[in-house]
Amino acid sequence: MRKVYIAVVVLGLIAVIGNHLTSPSSGRAVSPEDFAGACAPCGAPCPSKK
Amino acid sequence: MSTAALSAPDARARVNVDRLFLGLALAATAALIALVLLDGQPASAALILGGFGLGIAFLKAEFSYTASWRRFLTRGEAGGLLGGLIVIAITALAVVPVAALAPHFGGAIAPLGPSLLIGAFVFGIGMQLANGCGSGTLYTAGGGSGRMLIALLFFVVGSVFGSLSLPSALSLGGIDPILASDYLGPWGGLAATLASIALAAILIVAVARKRGASFMPSRTYVFGGIAIGLLCVGVFIAGGHPWSVTFGYTVWGAKIASALGFDFSHAAFWQWPGPKHALAESVLSDTSSLTDFGMLFGAMAAAAAAKPFARTAWPPAKSLLAAGIGGLLMGWGARLGFGCNIGAFVGGVASGSLHGWVWFAAALPGCLIGIRLRPLFGLSRD
Repeated sequence: MRKVYIAVVVLGLIAVIGNHLTSPSSGRAVSPEDFAGACAPCGAPCPSKK
Repeated sequence: MSTAALSAPDARARVNVDRLFLGLALAATAALIALVLLDGQPASAALILGGFGLGIAFLKAEFSYTASWRRFLTRGEAGGLLGGLIVIAITALAVVPVAALAPHFGGAIAPLGPSLLIGAFVFGIGMQLANGCGSGTLYTAGGGSGRMLIALLFFVVGSVFGSLSLPSALSLGGIDPILASDYLGPWGGLAATLASIALAAILIVAVARKRGASFMPSRTYVFGGIAIGLLCVGVFIAGGHPWSVTFGYTVWGAKIASALGFDFSHAAFWQWPGPKHALAESVLSDTSSLTDFGMLFGAMAAAAAAKPFARTAWPPAKSLLAAGIGGLLMGWGARLGFGCNIGAFVGGVASGSLHGWVWFAAALPGCLIGIRLRPLFGLSRD
């Protein structure tokens, strides 16, 4: 199990760092709720806005 | 001082530290913090550290929503549930007034409708099969449970399927979020929120007393609940919203699927501004991913500092199957139900949003079914 953990942590970290270095990062970290019209933590719209 | 000069307990303590995994956890956390600080984002670093603290607190207190709910449903024991309410009450003291009064802060809100009910119910089944909820899966996987690593993997997969199902589920109907502070103002909303938590506590104690079960939380749960509540406040201050867990899983899954060639450009969920932004930007630009990473490595550090890490054998295949199925159900349910125990229940109730209590009421019967299914996978009902 330890070998699996080492593989998961190392590969996961490489993936996270790779994604960070190859993707745009336009300022402070945000949640989908920060966007206009969001009505839930995942950014779903309000029923009344449909 | 030579090793021989150490007292026996000191020597044992030295042996029990798993330096490899403690170092791995600390190095990974430091690397992530360095990356966000290089981008000039101290708030992101604070979110990683907040998650790290939560991982330690959950692991040390063995704080488990899943086991607490199961003990309440099967035996009537209420101590764990009350410990969970301590977390919510402390968080609400900051979230309700600050979200109502301060710009750039907001509570966890969600619409009320079939999607919420279905999602929470399915999540309840999944959490009992997996033996961990959103936060529980994270800290036990981080803490060295290979079984929960499987649950986490399938949680991620399930949440991507959930993101594809959510627009259809929302088309079944619903009403806009109901927030106490919208009707009663920031302080009236806080009073109503605390009153609802107190009422829930009274009802839970009444059920425990009627069933002749204990209802006093253990000291560990009280102190753990206080620590977790304070950390939830810290995460709220740093991120601008209550702590949430599962949206990060959805982003991870979608990013992996995109890398494998899956096209999300026609998926309605991924065209909404928030998810679209999260999929396009760095994973370290998403608040829930930051706390998730911190929590994983915080739990790993705490576990590795106490004993050899991940030395246990893999559990039986049936148990792993339950973890996988439970993870899938939780992932799908979390997207339809607008979060897990943390994002929907803790965050929702602590924001004074009615959906938090609705989520709880819908997840409990799901838990009952999950508990009945557990023996099929060789798991006990207790």
